[in-house]
Amino acid sequence: MKRLRVLGFFWGFLFAVCVLPAEALDLGEALKGVVIGGTAVTSGQTGEAPPKTEAIPGEGKPAFSLKSPSREQEIDIGREIAGNLLGASPLVDDAALQTYVNQVGRWVANQSERADLPWRFGVIESEDINAFAAPGGYVFVTRGLYRCLENEAQLAGVLSHEIAHVVRSHHLKILKQSQLLDIGAGWVGKRVGTDREILRKVIGSGAEVCARSLDRSAEFEADRMGVTLTVRAGYEPYGLPEVLQTIGQTGRDESRVTLLFKTHPHPDDRLLELDESIGNRLDAVRGGKTLGNRFYRLKP
Amino acid sequence: MKIHAFLLTVLLAVPLLPGMCRAAETGRALKADVLRSAPYSDARKTGVIVRGETLQILTKKGAWLNVKNGKRASGWVRLLSVRRGTAGSGSTSKGVLDVASGRAGTGTIVATTGVRGLNEEELKGARYNAAEVKKLDGYAQTPRQGEQFARRGGLRAVKFAYLPEPKQKGGRR
Repeated sequence: MKRLRVLGFFWGFLFAVCVLPAEALDLGEALKGVVIGGTAVTSGQTGEAPPKTEAIPGEGKPAFSLKSPSREQEIDIGREIAGNLLGASPLVDDAALQTYVNQVGRWVANQSERADLPWRFGVIESEDINAFAAPGGYVFVTRGLYRCLENEAQLAGVLSHEIAHVVRSHHLKILKQSQLLDIGAGWVGKRVGTDREILRKVIGSGAEVCARSLDRSAEFEADRMGVTLTVRAGYEPYGLPEVLQTIGQTGRDESRVTLLFKTHPHPDDRLLELDESIGNRLDAVRGGKTLGNRFYRLKP
Repeated sequence: MKIHAFLLTVLLAVPLLPGMCRAAETGRALKADVLRSAPYSDARKTGVIVRGETLQILTKKGAWLNVKNGKRASGWVRLLSVRRGTAGSGSTSKGVLDVASGRAGTGTIVATTGVRGLNEEELKGARYNAAEVKKLDGYAQTPRQGEQFARRGGLRAVKFAYLPEPKQKGGRR
């Protein structure tokens, strides 16, 4: 039994070595090949069978693979990251706030290709201005960012950007790249632990993946998709750009935006990029709502 | 009645103060663009703005801002062509904000309960918090609940294709 397991990982390793470097070297290409639905399949590799289908005898779950994680594995990865992030910053203790954010987030996520995910949204205790997404449908906004918002359309805009990261599996791609390094460091060949231990190897320590930068093009893509999802949900389309405008006014030297500015293109660049994409495409969109009245305001 | 209105104004304004995220009604042109007599792309041209110039923002209507550039002209310009707020703002209020968020001096974190930042070290050292994950689960909404919430706010789903990746222009990116 144990031998089978080791063998499984050996094949997984071989597969990873053969397939991942090409992807790691060219994220842009990988992005283009993404099949909607979250599992990343790059073009030209369709002939190879993903190892996830090799079930370990005696165990209900298929072997863990980052190449093509199942929906459940994707959620497991996200849940682990979310739990770690909450270890650094717990949820703001305000049930009405958390429910409200989940209502808005769920409605927006319904407009995406991954409405099937068990979406979870939370406002976390941090005065930083930032937002995070983890695979499987986990989305967090800091109290500092929430405080900058003026209406529901803006909240929807911010959540939409993060939802887009999940839909396009942007963070899974980052994890895939770093898993290579882990394997290089001698992970394979050593004792392979429980699923949980493997999961921890995959995501690195704590919530460090949240501090990592995505490709600039992934951020621009999430902005475009974010505006789109906001429109689809019936909101005024400029919620996200307005928030970017606000964040852009924050001085680069302020500590509360240090991480955000380090991991994202500057808001000015994001606005320009959005402007080029939008052109006059939103001119015909009428009747979008801002819902400033319904917006849940933080207790001071 | 008057006192009530006054109190209401104060009550509404107070929570906004610590936010520090309010826009001053000035802005900076992110790119050269055309000013128009009305908030439509085919409205008459009334002038131009040049990249980097300071603008006074008068009103906002949908995707458009009504702006004035000093002496020369006023008109409507696309919201995304303008960055609201004055350039370089934030630096003056830095001290206040950093103290308020529990950080003072050069990156030193002052122990303040309830307020904290999220830097790379803190994220890296974070430990799984099962109790918080459970709480998070408790707030989740079903797709159906999301729909009901939308309906209560008068939101209606709209069919709209994903915005395209912009065509590469003039070497930018």
